[in-house]
Amino acid sequence: MTGPVLLTTLFPGLVWAMAALALVQVWRRAALWRAGAAAPVAWLDGLAKLPRRYLVDVHHVVARDAYASRMHAVVAGGLLAASVLTALAILPPLAGSRIYWVLVALAFAVTAVGSFLVGARRYPEKQKRLSAGRFQILPFLLVAYAAGGTLTALLLALGGGGGVLAPLALLLAAAGGLGLAFEVRHGPMRHAAAGALHLVAHPRPGRFEGRPDTALQPLDLDAPRLGSEMPADFTWNRLLSYDACVSCGRCEIACPAFAAGQPLNPKRLIQDLVAGLSPAEPAYAGNPYPGGREAEGERGPLARLIGPDARIHPDTLWSCTTCRACVEECPMMIEHVDAVVSLRRHQTLERGALPEKAVGPVTDLRQAGEPGGRSLAARTDFAAGLDLPVLDGRDGVDVLLWLGEGAYDLRYGRTLRALVRLLRQANVDFAVLGAEERDTGDLARRLGDEATFQSLARANIATLARHRFGRIVTADPHALHALRNEYPAFGGHYTVMHHTAFLLELIRAGKLVPNRLEDVSVTYHDPCYLARYNGETEAPRAVLDAIGVSRREMGRSGRRAMCCGGGGGAPVSDVPGERRIPDLRMAQAAETGAGIVAVACPSCTAMLEGVPDRKAEIRDIAELLLQSVEAGR
Amino acid sequence: MIANADALLKPLTIKGLTIRNRVMSTSHAPGYGRDGKPQERYQLYHAEKAKGGIGLTMFGGSSSVAPDSPAAPWNQISVADDAVIPFFRQFSDRVHGYGGKLMIQLTHMGRRTKWDTEHWLPTVSPSPRREPASRTIPKEIEEEDIARIVKSFAQAARRCKEGGLDGCEVSAAHGHLIDQFWSPSVNQRTDKYGGSLENRMRFGIEVLEAMRAEVGDDYVIGIRMSGDEMIADGLSQEDCVAIAAEYAKRGLVDFLNVLGGQARDHIAHAISLPNMSFPVAPFLFLPSAIKREVDVPVFHAQRVTDLATAARAVAEGHVDMVAMTRAHIADPHLVKKLSEGRADDIRQCVGAGYCIDRIYVGGDALCIQNAATGREATMPHDIRKADVRRRIVVIGAGPGGLEAARVCAERGHAVVLFEKGPQAGGQISIAAKAGWREAMSGITRWLVSQVTKLGVDLRFNTEATEAAVLAEKPDVVIVATGGTPFRGHAKGAEQFAVTTTDVLTGAVEPTGSVLLYDEMGQHNASSVAEQLAKRGCLVEIATHDRMVAEEVGTTNQPIHLRELYKLGVVMTPNMELIEIYPEGNRFVAALRNTMTDAEEERLVDRIVVDHGTLPVDGLYRGLKDASVNRGQIDPDALIRGEPQPYDLSSGYALYRIGDAVAGRNIHAAIYDALRLCKDI
Repeated sequence: MTGPVLLTTLFPGLVWAMAALALVQVWRRAALWRAGAAAPVAWLDGLAKLPRRYLVDVHHVVARDAYASRMHAVVAGGLLAASVLTALAILPPLAGSRIYWVLVALAFAVTAVGSFLVGARRYPEKQKRLSAGRFQILPFLLVAYAAGGTLTALLLALGGGGGVLAPLALLLAAAGGLGLAFEVRHGPMRHAAAGALHLVAHPRPGRFEGRPDTALQPLDLDAPRLGSEMPADFTWNRLLSYDACVSCGRCEIACPAFAAGQPLNPKRLIQDLVAGLSPAEPAYAGNPYPGGREAEGERGPLARLIGPDARIHPDTLWSCTTCRACVEECPMMIEHVDAVVSLRRHQTLERGALPEKAVGPVTDLRQAGEPGGRSLAARTDFAAGLDLPVLDGRDGVDVLLWLGEGAYDLRYGRTLRALVRLLRQANVDFAVLGAEERDTGDLARRLGDEATFQSLARANIATLARHRFGRIVTADPHALHALRNEYPAFGGHYTVMHHTAFLLELIRAGKLVPNRLEDVSVTYHDPCYLARYNGETEAPRAVLDAIGVSRREMGRSGRRAMCCGGGGGAPVSDVPGERRIPDLRMAQAAETGAGIVAVACPSCTAMLEGVPDRKAEIRDIAELLLQSVEAGR
Repeated sequence: MIANADALLKPLTIKGLTIRNRVMSTSHAPGYGRDGKPQERYQLYHAEKAKGGIGLTMFGGSSSVAPDSPAAPWNQISVADDAVIPFFRQFSDRVHGYGGKLMIQLTHMGRRTKWDTEHWLPTVSPSPRREPASRTIPKEIEEEDIARIVKSFAQAARRCKEGGLDGCEVSAAHGHLIDQFWSPSVNQRTDKYGGSLENRMRFGIEVLEAMRAEVGDDYVIGIRMSGDEMIADGLSQEDCVAIAAEYAKRGLVDFLNVLGGQARDHIAHAISLPNMSFPVAPFLFLPSAIKREVDVPVFHAQRVTDLATAARAVAEGHVDMVAMTRAHIADPHLVKKLSEGRADDIRQCVGAGYCIDRIYVGGDALCIQNAATGREATMPHDIRKADVRRRIVVIGAGPGGLEAARVCAERGHAVVLFEKGPQAGGQISIAAKAGWREAMSGITRWLVSQVTKLGVDLRFNTEATEAAVLAEKPDVVIVATGGTPFRGHAKGAEQFAVTTTDVLTGAVEPTGSVLLYDEMGQHNASSVAEQLAKRGCLVEIATHDRMVAEEVGTTNQPIHLRELYKLGVVMTPNMELIEIYPEGNRFVAALRNTMTDAEEERLVDRIVVDHGTLPVDGLYRGLKDASVNRGQIDPDALIRGEPQPYDLSSGYALYRIGDAVAGRNIHAAIYDALRLCKDI
């Protein structure tokens, strides 16, 4: 009976050895994270919340792909259960229990099933969004570990364990298991270790608390280095977060710039941050940046990441619309946009390397408080003849209407005029800041010019402090995001509403009475800064429903809507691609057959209306509501 | 969106008065005044522009401040007594209700008016020199008259202010009293009002100072003036710049409304109101030159028919406000359409001059292509949807048929439009082939773009037979088959004459000597004569009328005559063509003098005639008997603006419009269509 005894020792021992090897591998990897800057992390809180973050938040994202979700539940659940159960078998009572080994065998069998599900995504044909490379070995390691484990446990359950079968089975399990553990440093299994740690030490814990933690974090402008130039400039937990990337490619599918053939692939970008950190990292094996650029550049914690000859081309950075679609899709909860902005901050603030076409608008923003360099008083030109009330220091007002950048745009002036007329009809006590309204600085901030953003934020906050108003209403989700989510860090705390939410409130209070616009089919395009940045997807739809139009949804809508291409300074950076983002979005809108694309953002209006040969009209929700309200007369 | 559109849509503030954009309509006299007051028709006409988004609309061209400048001759406005104030109030409320601003032009016309109307007072002028255009010999103005008229201006300004108008301008253009003082071509005085430019400017200064004293410094007062009189003994461009600079420097004027030329005779008048033979904005350089010298806003009107030109004029800093007066007659909603991103829907002025030419023969201003303008009380600019959707068949894609199709489609009906030929436009397409008349095709272009956009089933190269029409199972059939040229009653004409249409379409290409006989007095004969002469023909144009192109209006006829003189066309009025017969391979035309009955002959290579058109009515007659209304339009219902009183449940109604009824003109065809179809 030496066989079974030896086996009941060796088998759990294997798992313990795997754990030890994994730990060593994580430790070796963690040495690299330590190159990153310090970051405050609430360890105990994070650890306590880890199960919930994993089972609820991560699962919520993973579950969007039903196959992947089932696959992961089976293979990861099986792997974890089988390994833990086996490890516990060092306890003699368990090791001696045949029933226990049946349980273990069952767990390994489940893992085996999962392993085949993993393999089916890669063989005979790999799914396009997945990376190859070491990920292609993963199913074999899993199958070896699971099959070997199942067999070993079964032999123990049957009371056998002698003969040649047992060592072979154990050897198989060992090959697979140790292989998996070894892969924790550079291979697919890194995502499990780094992912779990990332959930504990996440730089935006707020996103697990049910609120949109989307505000960019303020930059200390007196710091010796601004933004990120090299891996060591990121905080350590950001470096950790990039290691969590499982190369699933969900970000890639969601990315509008990637779809347009601009040189950005969010997966590749994260993988470049990973590879940039470590010279030992195996070669990237996913889809490239569109345009096919493959530059190696330097590697290591102090290696320059951005440059025409570096790993990441500047055009990759400036292609990002900051739409957060990648973040929304990432099952590992990685914050791609933070990475992009951090890299941009260094380019802009330290190197003065803004894209050529963005220099003008950002300079004007800095010098004139407005990216077109136009007079601030001209912001209300669109309303000439409407007698727009301007807030003065004495009288308070219920609603401060924040006009935003769109007020200078001829097309968008129509939307604002419609909104003003609606406010008038509903007898809303409102006013605008007039010549005192400066740009919120959104454009500067997304382009990395934190200095200009902060000075505009402070100036606007000082202006707002001189006035009395109940709340701010704006039709510009970018302004809304800055005022609502980003100004608090500088001492500006306001109640900010998007015009669609405010209009809905007026409808529900009976202050606006829409008439039904029958025979009008509408598809609503969610603005990124409203839906993803602020989680507001229902109010605009409720207004449309109140108008009674036939509402159709695009394939991608709500928090998963595709960007129009207008955010993050992308229109001024103007990095060429093979297609244009708004053209792609309008093609998606056309698939619904709707005659009108309803919008709720000046950038979306401009981008979508600029699409040539457009079949559908672009109308802001305020315009549609005004039409409906006035239809009765 | 056109380039520089944002420049047009910026507000302009003058002394606290904010005008919402840079597009305006200058004061003119559409002939809508009644009893010297701007009453409902006049007010609705301007209110429509305000509704359509215009920044500033100015009315009352040459509104008179004193009885010796009577308001009667062109149904103008009299601001010479307080009775006008309530009308101003009602008027300004109407325009302000749409966010527009309203101003008036005040003037004393001096010698440029009639003495034989209303009060039968003699006209006055600095010197007793007759003006060819007005045909009056004025009395030399005395200092007492000057004092009286200066006071009248001040009182008129007060009436404007009390009436709620946003401001006023005094006219010192087109040869009115103020610029009669300015211009050495009129002012030959030797007292303090004549001689040096300083003296000649005195009267205008006294007028403006008196107005200022009456209404205060914060009321907007401008001046309309020429930037160059363009006559040898008149004001030069330097003189005009000097006057503008001096008046502005003195703080007398809050804006300068600058135009080019003057209007002392027929050709000067035609040049100062440029028709389609001119390039767009031909005199933009004149306000531009003045703008450099003054610090008050500069306005300008003169054939700025399209928004792209308007936007350029403002964006490049030539002017502060651009006046699109005739452009608004064609489409009073043009600013709204621009700001709504519907610039393609703007019905652009083609510069036919139909509106203004009617005024100068005592008629009311009507647009050749927009039959709703000036008829706002009864005709809609925006067509309302019908309650019942009908199947409508229109035959003929000339202006009448296109307008019928457009209005019916706007009403929501299903419209089929048959056109026998390969393109739309009817006789417009033929007229547009003649030299500078090319812009006429703009009328067709807009109509076609609208019917296409509205989903009209436009079937080119498809002759509408009775069977084809009935196969559509129509509720209403509208026959707009137009007219066919008539060769006239002269003996042999049917056999030997060709028509102006034959020449323009290229069916006949005359060479050598041509006799062009015209019984219509319209554009046709003159433009064909011009074209033939340019091709090298030796042309004589003979007409039954007292002169060539007698029916062509005052902004167009001088241009025809100028071209015909330049080309050496022989013009023979008071002749009737009585017979044509061949002689060898040439023709003899027998002409008879209408006054003396003396007969003459011409031996020429070609005889071309213009007798207008006769209806193409075969289809109408074929469809008539089976129609529920036997093809009749009830004139009373039509005039009252009510639907035609026919029951369509038992069959189709048949209507005939435009030249298919009787040869008339483009406006008649379009008005026929609009007023019938708006109620279908």
